[in-house]
Amino acid sequence: MRKGLSMLLLISLALGLIAGCSGGNNEGNNASNHKADSKNSSSTSNSSNNSADSSDSNANKTSLPEKTFTFLDVSHPSWPYDENWLVWKLLKEQTGVSFKVQVPSGEMADALSLAIASGELPDLLYTEDKSLADKYGQMGALANILDYTDIMPNFKQWMEKYPNDTRNAIAADGKMYIFPNQGIGETNRMIWMYREDIFKKLNLTPPQNWDELYTVLKALKQAYPDSYPLSWRDGIAYLLNFSASFKTSNDFYYDYDTNTWKYAPLDDNYKTMIGYFNKFYKEGLIPPDFLSIDTKQWQDLISTDKAFITLDYIGRIDFYNTPLRADNPDYNLLFMPPPEGVPGSQKNAFTQFDQAGMMVSGDSKNIKDVMKYFDFLYSEDGKNLVSWGKEGETYTVKDGKNVLNPDYTTVADLRKKTGLSTDGAYTWFDYDAHLSLSSPELASAYEQARKYDSQQQPMPTLTQTELDDTNVEMTSIQKYRDENVAKFILGTRSLSEWDKYVSDLKGLGVDHVISVYKEAYERSLQTAK
Amino acid sequence: MERSKAAAARRTPRPIRKLNKDKYLLLMVLPCLIYYLVFRYAPMFGLVISFKNYNLFKGVWASPWVGFKYYHTFLNSPDFVDLLRNTILLGVTKLVFSFPAPILLALMLNEVTVSFLKRFVQTVSYLPHFISNVVVASMVLTFLSPSTGIVNHWLKGLGFHAVNFMSEPGWFRPVYVLSEIWQHVGWETIIYLAALTAIDPLLYEAARIDGANRWRQTLSVTLPGIAPTIIILFIFNIGDVLDIGFEKVFLLASPAIYSTADIISTYVYRVGLGQGNYSYAASIDLFTSIISLIFVCTANYLARKFSDNSIW
Repeated sequence: MRKGLSMLLLISLALGLIAGCSGGNNEGNNASNHKADSKNSSSTSNSSNNSADSSDSNANKTSLPEKTFTFLDVSHPSWPYDENWLVWKLLKEQTGVSFKVQVPSGEMADALSLAIASGELPDLLYTEDKSLADKYGQMGALANILDYTDIMPNFKQWMEKYPNDTRNAIAADGKMYIFPNQGIGETNRMIWMYREDIFKKLNLTPPQNWDELYTVLKALKQAYPDSYPLSWRDGIAYLLNFSASFKTSNDFYYDYDTNTWKYAPLDDNYKTMIGYFNKFYKEGLIPPDFLSIDTKQWQDLISTDKAFITLDYIGRIDFYNTPLRADNPDYNLLFMPPPEGVPGSQKNAFTQFDQAGMMVSGDSKNIKDVMKYFDFLYSEDGKNLVSWGKEGETYTVKDGKNVLNPDYTTVADLRKKTGLSTDGAYTWFDYDAHLSLSSPELASAYEQARKYDSQQQPMPTLTQTELDDTNVEMTSIQKYRDENVAKFILGTRSLSEWDKYVSDLKGLGVDHVISVYKEAYERSLQTAK
Repeated sequence: MERSKAAAARRTPRPIRKLNKDKYLLLMVLPCLIYYLVFRYAPMFGLVISFKNYNLFKGVWASPWVGFKYYHTFLNSPDFVDLLRNTILLGVTKLVFSFPAPILLALMLNEVTVSFLKRFVQTVSYLPHFISNVVVASMVLTFLSPSTGIVNHWLKGLGFHAVNFMSEPGWFRPVYVLSEIWQHVGWETIIYLAALTAIDPLLYEAARIDGANRWRQTLSVTLPGIAPTIIILFIFNIGDVLDIGFEKVFLLASPAIYSTADIISTYVYRVGLGQGNYSYAASIDLFTSIISLIFVCTANYLARKFSDNSIW
């Protein structure tokens, strides 16, 4: 008898442990039950989940039904998600919507794939990467926003106003799985910068073209032999930004002059650019370890008078000027017009877009309500609210222009205190809100930079089959490009072997990938009509 | 009473009787067994996606079968030969140089009679083991930087030319292996030191009586004493030849040195996670695991054939 009992115990213990380990599913079910519960309660009684923070505005909100959406949102380390942020309160006042937010403990992309694989999706999901939205959308996990435009009058108007941003949000199958994000992309603008104070001291002027750039760099190197006058970070990736002045790119791109798709690293202009970098490298004008310089090392170079010209996000102007002026009041990093690479091209690569955005679960019982909520965000009122907050509370109107309250010292401070312009709290954004907090130098940089915009690249999305078809090829092509471009610059491979390099790259399947892009692009033009 | 118990024992089949006898021991093994089943064996079924066109939303079972398509793609990809060569070369270099290092350190420490010094060296040498790879990689990059690094500073001071270590393919393997040794030598020494304490002191005494000096004692007593440990650890290490830690290689590599530094695991990262091609990545992973298994079995077979020690 005892033997039987102990065996039973053993088996049940083992089963219990296994069950315990696979408990994740149960939790998922519970969560969905909660979801259903909260939905029921909101449809039957509006007052049941009234929280204290909304009581003060009860008067003007009685007509709005209360809804709570579950939301898988990202939390930024510098302004971690806070459910008590002002922005949520304001959104609830206006729309009646509140959120039950889950924040992933690790990478957002991992959390997304886990959520999709588990089949238990919250109403709303956030992604930093549009290609994930396309991927999961085409697998059938997400709602097609275009199916609901009938109940979204504001969004309809918006799409007519921003056809480019609309097209870029559309997936390969002609559907839209992510809400287009507009306005905040300005923060991703990348520009050339130079040390105005050092230039003045040495009696230099910002170079107009790359030959002048070379002379200026030489002069700087002569005055500061320890320096690497032109420095940037992330190695080869930034060739994208340099290449804009050479009428080319760093990858597959659409050439607006000839209306064809091309692979930039095969262009003759690209070779010209590599030639300049090779010369710079040989003469110590760029850091010898430019391939591996990370953000920290780059910051050290800029802040210790070891680099005087650089290319990075526009916000770096205040990032350096503000703290470094404490020790050196003359320190002055300013916008520099991009030097002309090939005749007639003086451009910065168009980087002022943001591919992050929100997606709606295809299984959600609240799809229509979610769409109505987003329709508000695409109205002028909605944009105003998520960009500026509430008049009197976060901003005031001076001479017809909005100005954020002076108690917010920086954009980061504003985000931390109010949640305004944090991920998931906006989708159409008025960038003037951020500009109203910037220094005169930064504001002027924004004004000047717009003159040197290159045309935004189309971003056709490939179908899953096309992706499967090309991504092994693309990996090989990119590897070959990175390796050899690095060698050409370092001089370990001579530029006289350029033709061999071109034919080798073609041998890896460049033409095939180009044809796939071309097809995808034509498809995207069709669907946009 | 006695008789009925014996009769009961006779009635129950032998295996169950045995289980009953060892039930407490078995109970203690159980958590470990479950751990391996749940976290090591169950995930292996995931490898099935390497034969499928895996669709994350449909899930593993509903995704369509594609047979050996991804293996075929990998074997025919233009990078395959380079990747395999780099991986094997890096793995073998690491094995050849970093495997004997802790043995040598252990033998040397064994000869140190000042116990304070011995403890000091041991502590200092095993501390780097606790530094994360991210930090180690950035230390290496900082020290070896041609513009600001201390190593090139010294080289220039001694009248040599500055070397751009992390941009020259030839330097990658030495730098990687040396940093591995620096990081792990102290930690791996611990196991050999433990094996050394198990050697019977009488053997040393006998050797001394026979007129053996320190060197002879090391050769004839110490080394044979730890030989089983060496062989077992060697077989373990063979299994890791293709399975070099991804993290540090990835952090140290730059495009200029891809010709020596791009290995299978960094490639898997770029294709699999970077481009979301999970099936392809899984097939490469299974492929390398199978080669590793062949390596381990061969090493074990040879060890069994030429010595008395082997894992199985």
